[in-house]
Amino acid sequence: MSDEKRVIVVGGGLAGLAASVRIAEAGVPVDLFSMVPVKRSHSVCAQGGINACNEVARQQGYSEYQHFDETLIGGDFLNDQHPVLEMANWAPKIIDLLDRMGVPFNRTHEGFRDLRLFGGSLFKRTHFSGATTGQQLLYALDEQTRRFAAEGKINKMEFWEFLWPITEGEGADKRCVGIVAQDMRTMQIRSFRADAVVMATGGCGLVFGKSTNSIICTGGAASRCYQAGAWYGNPEMIQVHPTAIPGADKCRLMSESARGEGGRVWVPAKKGDTRKPKDIPENERYYILEERYPKYGNLVPRDIATREIFDVCVNEGMGVNGTNQVYLDLTHRDPEYLTEKLGGIMDIYEKFVGDDPRYTPMRIFPAVHYSMGGLWTTYTPGKYQPESPVGEHKPGNPIPVGNEPGLGLTIGAHNNAMTNISGLYAFGEVNFAYHGATRLGANALLSCIFDGLCNGVSVVNYVRDGVPAPASELSQSVYDRAAQIEQDKQDKLLASVGSGKGDHSLNPYVIANELGEEMNAASTVVKTGPRLEKCLAKLDELSERYSRCELGDGAMWTNQSLSFARSVGDMIILAEAIAKAGLLREESRGSHYRTDFPERDDEKFWKASVAKYNESTGKSDIEFMPVKAGLVKLRPRNYGKVDSGTNKEKIPPKQVAEANA
Amino acid sequence: MSDAEAHAYDADMRRANRRKAVDGRSVIFKIKRCDGPGKPSRWESFKVPVEEGANVISSLKWIAANPVTTEGSKTTPVVWDSGCLEEVCGACTMVINGRVRQSCSCLIDEYAPLEGDVITLEPMSKFPVIRDLWVDRDRLFSALTRVKAWVPIDGTYNMGAGPKESPEHQQMRYALSECMSCGCCLEACPQYTKVEDEEKWDTSFVGAHAISQARLFNEHGTGKQLKGERYDALSGPGGVSDCGNAQNCVKVCPKGIPLTESIGAVGRGTTIHAIKQFFQGKK
Amino acid sequence: MSNPDGPMQKHHFLLRRLHSLTGILPIGVFLIMHLTTNSTIAWGGLNGRAHGDGWLDRAIATFQHEVSFINETPLLLLIEITLWASIAFHSILGVIYAVSGNMNNGSYKYGGNTRYMLQRVTGYVGILFIFYHIATLRWGWTWLVPGGVKWSHENAASTLAAALQGSTEQFTEWGLVVAIFYFVGVTMLVFHFANGLWTAAITWGFTISRSAQKRWGYACAALGAGLMVMAWASVVGFATLDYDQAREVEEAMKSGHEPVPQMTDDHTETATAEHSNIDG
Repeated sequence: MSDEKRVIVVGGGLAGLAASVRIAEAGVPVDLFSMVPVKRSHSVCAQGGINACNEVARQQGYSEYQHFDETLIGGDFLNDQHPVLEMANWAPKIIDLLDRMGVPFNRTHEGFRDLRLFGGSLFKRTHFSGATTGQQLLYALDEQTRRFAAEGKINKMEFWEFLWPITEGEGADKRCVGIVAQDMRTMQIRSFRADAVVMATGGCGLVFGKSTNSIICTGGAASRCYQAGAWYGNPEMIQVHPTAIPGADKCRLMSESARGEGGRVWVPAKKGDTRKPKDIPENERYYILEERYPKYGNLVPRDIATREIFDVCVNEGMGVNGTNQVYLDLTHRDPEYLTEKLGGIMDIYEKFVGDDPRYTPMRIFPAVHYSMGGLWTTYTPGKYQPESPVGEHKPGNPIPVGNEPGLGLTIGAHNNAMTNISGLYAFGEVNFAYHGATRLGANALLSCIFDGLCNGVSVVNYVRDGVPAPASELSQSVYDRAAQIEQDKQDKLLASVGSGKGDHSLNPYVIANELGEEMNAASTVVKTGPRLEKCLAKLDELSERYSRCELGDGAMWTNQSLSFARSVGDMIILAEAIAKAGLLREESRGSHYRTDFPERDDEKFWKASVAKYNESTGKSDIEFMPVKAGLVKLRPRNYGKVDSGTNKEKIPPKQVAEANA
Repeated sequence: MSDAEAHAYDADMRRANRRKAVDGRSVIFKIKRCDGPGKPSRWESFKVPVEEGANVISSLKWIAANPVTTEGSKTTPVVWDSGCLEEVCGACTMVINGRVRQSCSCLIDEYAPLEGDVITLEPMSKFPVIRDLWVDRDRLFSALTRVKAWVPIDGTYNMGAGPKESPEHQQMRYALSECMSCGCCLEACPQYTKVEDEEKWDTSFVGAHAISQARLFNEHGTGKQLKGERYDALSGPGGVSDCGNAQNCVKVCPKGIPLTESIGAVGRGTTIHAIKQFFQGKK
Repeated sequence: MSNPDGPMQKHHFLLRRLHSLTGILPIGVFLIMHLTTNSTIAWGGLNGRAHGDGWLDRAIATFQHEVSFINETPLLLLIEITLWASIAFHSILGVIYAVSGNMNNGSYKYGGNTRYMLQRVTGYVGILFIFYHIATLRWGWTWLVPGGVKWSHENAASTLAAALQGSTEQFTEWGLVVAIFYFVGVTMLVFHFANGLWTAAITWGFTISRSAQKRWGYACAALGAGLMVMAWASVVGFATLDYDQAREVEEAMKSGHEPVPQMTDDHTETATAEHSNIDG
């Protein structure tokens, strides 16, 4: 290994690629690890768009500051405020960069970038490329990565699975100096040196079984860092997307842009109405979101839309034909317009369901979508330090701060997006900082690329000036030991092949299915204390069974069962933190909704829940740490709901319709 | 039948099959398996109960949890490649009932509507098998490097917006940019043959996907700076002129990318490029 | 083809384009001329200035006239050799290119894929047919088939009819084989040409959009259909032509009504050579 300082990036989605390109561009060689060819990373699934203030919105009174403010209220103030400000300020410049990279953003007739409306805003501030924006952005970064790889500046390690971060030193001196990884084809386990490691490994949707996530989104990598001592922030904050197509293998996302382009969510106003959707006249339809939230209508933030759809189906039993489904209706729009703006998702729906959504309303239901929580990270605030937090920002009001870089974060500070372990960074979805208790639609792509571009500079600076000794000078024994530990763990799993005499309940796939069902039932849209306690007990049982699990495949070549079984153990450990933090957060905030504590409790819980792995118990210790705020004052979050909570029975349209029927 | 009519006809057939599908049935999966490079392949059959909305992926998952063949012998879970499961990542491509496609969007109700119907799964034949249904598609990605499929930007720092573009042009580029590198066009192409020796990749047929990507970047205001280099690469052995015009690529492309139009456009580009070079004496 | 510095690799693009070009010029253009000449056996009756009273007589005379006219073309051997070289070049490269692919028509039953397969099959059969055709009729290798009849440019129609029928007297079994081979051979070559014209437009980049390719496809199909009619008419015409009747017309032409080309012995060889191409 050369003496050159190197960086390892784990994960080849938007965050990982943006980071790799930025770091390589600065002259530091990058080893990029990914379980899949990076072009197949989960970022491809993002559909709707990417938010940024733009000239049109700006001239209507919008600003980067308002984008920042919207993100905070969307996240119910659980976000770290400084990084969000910096992100909002960078957003327009990131769009410009993507544009230069060749992303085919939709255009207006004059040739400018087109915009669409998205959840949580009354301004058009979402840039998009058809209905496969994530795919288009990922491809642009994949192309730049390929270019750097061709020049030898990025070394792509595809089909390599991250197994463990290698650290040296203890306590405050603990720092990350490499990783252990495994070639998923040859099954070779080996250690790699690096002066810094960037985790860009995405979310953990598979903990919930069927989600909108890709099959690789187990959260295994984040869980391994957590078990190695990295803190995990806000694990209970899991976004359930209101509109997904239920399926046998996964739930397929139906983008928020469907509502942004005019999609209306409704159910028949008469319970048990079995007529076809088109035969139900306008006045016998109950437009759930429009009637409950006249101001934002169908574009309320996702947690709210999800809860209302859930409420209508599960509590009121008004789902279509008695099932847990509601209509998402675009049939009033021009089919050609839909093809141009939403072709990608129209086709997906048609392929998987068989109906053409241009002519038949889609049938959808909420599904687990995004982890706001992730590895806990820190940062150095920037120049903007108001004397006291600022109240709600309204369009047209003076903007308290400009939009130049360096106001929210100190650009290039070593610790930006760094976990509690020096040299171990968390970028993108696996970074807990940006989205608080709910992520606004079209902010995910932004936070991923922002992390890579902005905090990639921090990684470069840290590697150049912040490491006490280059990783290349460390003793080989550190690395050999780390690889050996992983080898031993694997040997133990492999030894189980054929041990349980075919006990089906010890099959890792069976355990994973039960884990998914349990977590989905206990810890998604609606949570209660007793249910979460039951869930924790179930996790104990699964954990015990997992310790005796029996693999179906002992091959030492491309053994996917082994890889999967390993991640099942990591998912159970992460699930425990998710459930326990949910149990301890005795309030409702954003996506976290407790029927036994239905109100937000800022006094006790305007805090990040931070899970620290306890090696002796194998479980989490949850600590509540104050949210890093100081820029914007807390305020209630209701998006102008007309019937707030207590008098739900008074929803007028339903009764009118029932009387009519 | 025009392409559009054929598509509508296919869709009708699929819908008709879906309506015919029998609830609570089991179907047979016949899977071509191979333990690794150089190992012999064999067929194994599995009887799989069909749940609502089942597709090939959910069936393979069921087999992973119940790896017992129809003969009752215990076997290993089948190895296959997959990712997004919504037909945008391209990973789960395989040969199903003799034809290449993504397995995630392959619904059992369409392929095997009746009790005991058989679905065969095979790995793609144009790429080396890693194990079972998982193949090594590195060559596919290396073709993208070969045609320099990127925009040569100066750097990632803030330098203002990119070139303006008409909506028509954007729609044209978007259609090309939807390519997810799945390899369907290569599997179905009679001119694209399996090449295991990595050193020969750069002189073997590059494939429709890369030709189309070259066109995509030639159509970008900044990307076209590399046009000459792309045409050089595509004029060489294994370039666009190796295309035999069978046009299977465009038929099997799951994203409906106008691959044959790209082949025509790059054909024109290389012709003009060659004439220019002849008269300008470059190279 | 594996040697990266070999001529096939170094001049890859040029060879590919020449391969495409030779198919059209000279081979394709020659094919059109050749079929036009030969099909006079079917439409030559239209020629009011031709010798003879009946439709068929005029057709025989027109054909003989055309053949004789071509025989007089200066530098005929040079033209012939260019043509043969082009055919050889197109054939050899064609086979090399064709074997580089692997047909998969069983799995992918699309029209385009069928044409891809047919283009290669018709190429292979076409090579055999052209060889047989030139060898027997131009080079006089009549031993290639039992009872083969030598063709003579001086009795163009009658000897051609005899060659296709297996004898001057009657339709023999081998004659049937030859006639069928001719029918199949010309059919395949016409298809090969029309389809090659269609793909060449994509290869060179004349047709890009799907609709342009489709429109050009109709044009090629129309041309192919026209050539096919001429080709079939020629084969059927000569395969059913009565030897004696044709001979009669030819002899009558020689004896005065029609000017017979004046030739020295030296020229005869050349002229005959050229004819074989034209006739088949």
